[in-house]
This record gives sequence, structure tokens and C-alpha cells, in this order.
Amino acid sequence: MIETLLTPFQYEYMLKAILVSGVIGGVCAFLSCFITLRGWSLMGDALSHSVVPGVAIAYYIGWPYAAGAFLTGLLAAVGMGFVKTKTRLREDAVIGVVFTAFFALGLLLISLFPSQVDLRSIVFGNILGISNSDIVQVLVISGVTLVVLGLKWRDLLLFCFDSNQARALGLNTTVLHLTLLTLLSATAVAALQTVGAVLVVAMLVTPGAIAYLLTDRFSRMIAIAVSLGVGTSLVGAYASYYFDGSTGGCIVTLQSLLFVVALVTAPKHGLIAARSRRRAAAGPEGARPAAEPPITR
Amino acid sequence: MTAPTSDFDPLTVDVTGLTVAYPNGNVALREASFALHAGSICALVGINGSGKSTLFKAMMGLLRPSAGGVTVSGKTIRQALKRNLIAYVPQSEEVDWSFPVSVWDVVLMGRYGYMNFMRIPRAVDRRIAEESLARVGMSEFRERQIGELSGGQRKRVFLARALAQQGRIILLDEPFTGVDVNTETAIVTLLRELRDEGDIMFVSTHNLGSVPEFCDHVVLINRTVLAAGPTTEVFTEENLLRTFGGVLRHFRFDESTVQKHDGRAVTVLTDDERPLVFGKGGHLEYSQRKGHEAVVSQRKEKEDEDDVPRK
Repeated sequence: MIETLLTPFQYEYMLKAILVSGVIGGVCAFLSCFITLRGWSLMGDALSHSVVPGVAIAYYIGWPYAAGAFLTGLLAAVGMGFVKTKTRLREDAVIGVVFTAFFALGLLLISLFPSQVDLRSIVFGNILGISNSDIVQVLVISGVTLVVLGLKWRDLLLFCFDSNQARALGLNTTVLHLTLLTLLSATAVAALQTVGAVLVVAMLVTPGAIAYLLTDRFSRMIAIAVSLGVGTSLVGAYASYYFDGSTGGCIVTLQSLLFVVALVTAPKHGLIAARSRRRAAAGPEGARPAAEPPITR
Repeated sequence: MTAPTSDFDPLTVDVTGLTVAYPNGNVALREASFALHAGSICALVGINGSGKSTLFKAMMGLLRPSAGGVTVSGKTIRQALKRNLIAYVPQSEEVDWSFPVSVWDVVLMGRYGYMNFMRIPRAVDRRIAEESLARVGMSEFRERQIGELSGGQRKRVFLARALAQQGRIILLDEPFTGVDVNTETAIVTLLRELRDEGDIMFVSTHNLGSVPEFCDHVVLINRTVLAAGPTTEVFTEENLLRTFGGVLRHFRFDESTVQKHDGRAVTVLTDDERPLVFGKGGHLEYSQRKGHEAVVSQRKEKEDEDDVPRK
């Protein structure tokens, strides 16, 4: 039994996959706290798709894939910002138009130069086949992201909460905005390897969303999200060995399951808690307004 | 531990020829000018879309004017912001109340400008934050998530943040909307104290009735500054009608059951609902005498009785 459980660890490629997934999972989860609170989930999805043409071009001209991906990711972000300020279109329409344009270009490039890149590994991820140089890229991106978030999370928090106040305090909100955007592109690139372009957004949103349901304090939200991100990524990658299934699929399915559990059972913001509050309100002490839930901490 | 502000003494705010145009070409504010000195509470009065929030944004350095500008004691807004001189109390609708921050977190945010690179609060930051919370009477709510507060408590928390920032120019955007009477009184008392300490407060409001009660200066705006100066001079019926145009509800009581009809009339201006008026006897009053002759005759008898002893 124990031997069976340990089998994945006997393969170097499994060990690498598990550890790299764990790192990426943690970094994405940290960032996901800001993404969910800033309302940038759609933006995360857009950027993760927009990096695809960059990957194709980078492979074609022999650059590290991360550099190319990062460039087109930022280009897409700038493009979206430009179109949004210059037209009367709503933000969701702008994001939709720009990111599909980039993604389509990526698909086109890959189909025109089929020998250069494997489409499947970009769109769905291929952590089991990750090369050592790619691991280095992922670790560098993760390290830089962790340092920046670790040092400046309070500024970023204020920026997400009340950017006018951030400005009034003399914080440079343009720099904060670009920092968050850059980190988002960078982690989207890193996560591409693990779960692929399509599922990156799950890694960048779900842990933060779960943690948001579970707590009302930002520091706790970070702790919960990061533990969940690391945990689900490690377990998901490990379990994918037995299912012989997609690593990204395993990780994200696991996160989604946890989200459902949190949605139902969260102590204050869960469905059960909301229902019992409604019951209590309808009961003999129905005078308590629903808008002021009891403090459960 | 206040930041040295000696080069901002005496404190003044000068808005000169301020013109703000948005990228789409809309001119939100044209050649607005007025000046304020230390120790004033100034009401910013105008309809929605008159440029109130544009003016606020310009004073916070959030917008680049296309002409003119705002200076603080002759220095730029940027210099004033660096000294944490400008504090801002947002409108309730602008705040995400489900955000996972506590009352204490929000008040500490007022201290960010004084903290180090990583924004780790020092003892002095905690002390000032605590004092600020106490001053608005919210100390016992420290650990509450901000969404768990009532409208009045929410406003108090953001006032505490402005206090913690030790700003000397405080911008309050619609501070009385959704606020209970106790909080309104508390806010007014606090603003008077701050005025006596030499601060400058800007209060954007459409609550006309409260303006003469506590604002010593008024700026009337509608795409430009229509009038600015001491409340007693500027806050006139004529100016207000000019500011609000047809938007304002305007009640002259000369046709009503409320008063004697001697050619002069009490006037009530409101930009919100039609006012409900109860007479001296506690009875309902009507805007037209017609059909309510009973009310008039009753009032007349009562007044005649009352008038006798005085004569």
C-alpha cells in the first residue's frame, strides 16, 4: 500500500512536476487575493490567453518562452487600456475583443509553424514534460513575484480598496497598477506550463475566491489562499499520476471542489450560514435585521 | 508627531481659473476660482454633474487641469500631498463594504504616508490611530469588518482615517447621506473643532438646510463657480435658484394655509422631496388654501387668541 503511494516520487519527472506545481500554485494564490478584490478575474483570463502568440514567436526565434509570452501579455494589457480610454465601449467588451484577437493570432502562428511548438502543451499545459531551463524561468518569476508581493502587499491592498486615498497619501497608483498588471502577466506565463492557457485563470482566481468566502481579514485571506493554492497543486499533481489524467485538470478540479465546499459551509458567508440566519430572522426574535449578521468570530 | 508643515503656514487654498476637460472633450469645469484661508468650513453646493466631484478630484491631484490650477499655501497639490496635508472622506457608494478589512485596518491606512517602505505601523502610528478612533467614538468597533457597521458608523470610520492622516485640508463627499441624526451632529461638532484648530474643510452636499448651520463659506457651482464667499453673503435665494435652475423645489407659502396673507411669504428651498409642514397647532398644512378653509379659519381663531395678551 505505502509502496503504491510512494511510486510517483520514484520518477524524477513526477517529483519535478509536483514541486513546480506547488510553487506556481502558491504564487498564483497569493496574487489571486488581489485579483479577486480588484475585480480583475476577467483580466486574468484575458492575459493568460494573450500570452499564447508570444510563446509561439519566442520558440520560433529561439527566445526563452517566458520573455515572448510576457511581452505579448503586457502588449494586450496596454492595448486593452488604450481601447478602453479611447472608445465608449464597456470594459468587458474591450477585454473580449482584445484577448480573443491575441489568442487567435497565437493559434494561427502555431498552425503556420507546426513543428515549432506543440499547441496542446500551451493550451492545456504539460508540466510532466517541463525542461530544466523552463523550471528556472518559473522559479525566477515566482521568486520575484513573491518578493514584490511580500514587500508591497499593504500598498497594493490600499490600491485595490481605495485608489483615491492611495493617491491622496502620495502613493504612485500608476506604478501600483502596472506592478499588479506585470505580476499578473508574469504569473500567467509561469502557470501556463502547469495548467495551460485555458485553466490559468482558475489558479489566479479560485484560491482567492475560496479564502474570501472564509474570512473577513485580508492577512488571513492571503494565508488561506496560499495554503490552498500550494496544497491543491501538490495533491493535484501527485494524484494525476494515478488517474493518468491531465495535471492541470486535476489541480483545478480539486480547487473547484474546495470552492463548492466553502460556498456551502463557510462560517459566515456560506449558504448554510445564510440560511440559518434567515431562519433566525423569521423566528420569534425576528426583529434582528438581516443586514447585520451576528459576529461569529 | 505632526509632520512639519511650517512652510504651509498660513494655510490657504487657492483655486484659480481651474478648467478641467475630459478626454472625450466634455468640459466639466470652466475657469473656476475661489480662495479659502485657515479655519474654514466650506460647503460645495451644486446639482449632480455640476462639477463638484471634478473639483474634488482636482484638489486631490487626480486630474490634470487643462488650464489654471489649485495651490495650497502657494505650493503645488503634489507638494501638499507629499506632506499628507490633503485627506479625503469618500462617498459611501464609492467604498466596497464587503472588502475584507477591519475598522482598525482602515484607520491605519490613514497613516501609510508616515510609515516606512513596507508600511509597518510604529507605536506612534498605532497611538494616533487609536486617538482618532476614540475621537469619533468608534474604539469599541475596532475589530469589526467594515460591512458590519451602520451607515453612520461607516462614515465615522472614514473620518477617523482622515484624522489619523492628520491632514489639514479635509474633503468630505456627501458626508450626511445615509447617516443617522446622532452621527450628523457628531460630524458637525468634530468639523467645528477642526476648524478651530485651523484646518480647512470642504463639504460637498446637496443637503441645503444643513449648510447655514455649520458652513461659514459656500462655493456654488454649475460647470463653473457661480458665487463663492461667506455663507451670509453668498447663500441667497437668488444665487441658489441660479445654481439649481429648475431642479430645485421652490415653495413660497403665500398661497398656503401656513401663514397670514400679507404679501410677504416664507420660502422653502429643497432639492429633494416636497416638505411636509405641520402648523403651530400640530395640524397638517397645505400648499393651497382652496379646499382647506377649515385649517385657515382654525389658525385664524388661534392666532387672534394668541395675539390678545401680547397687545
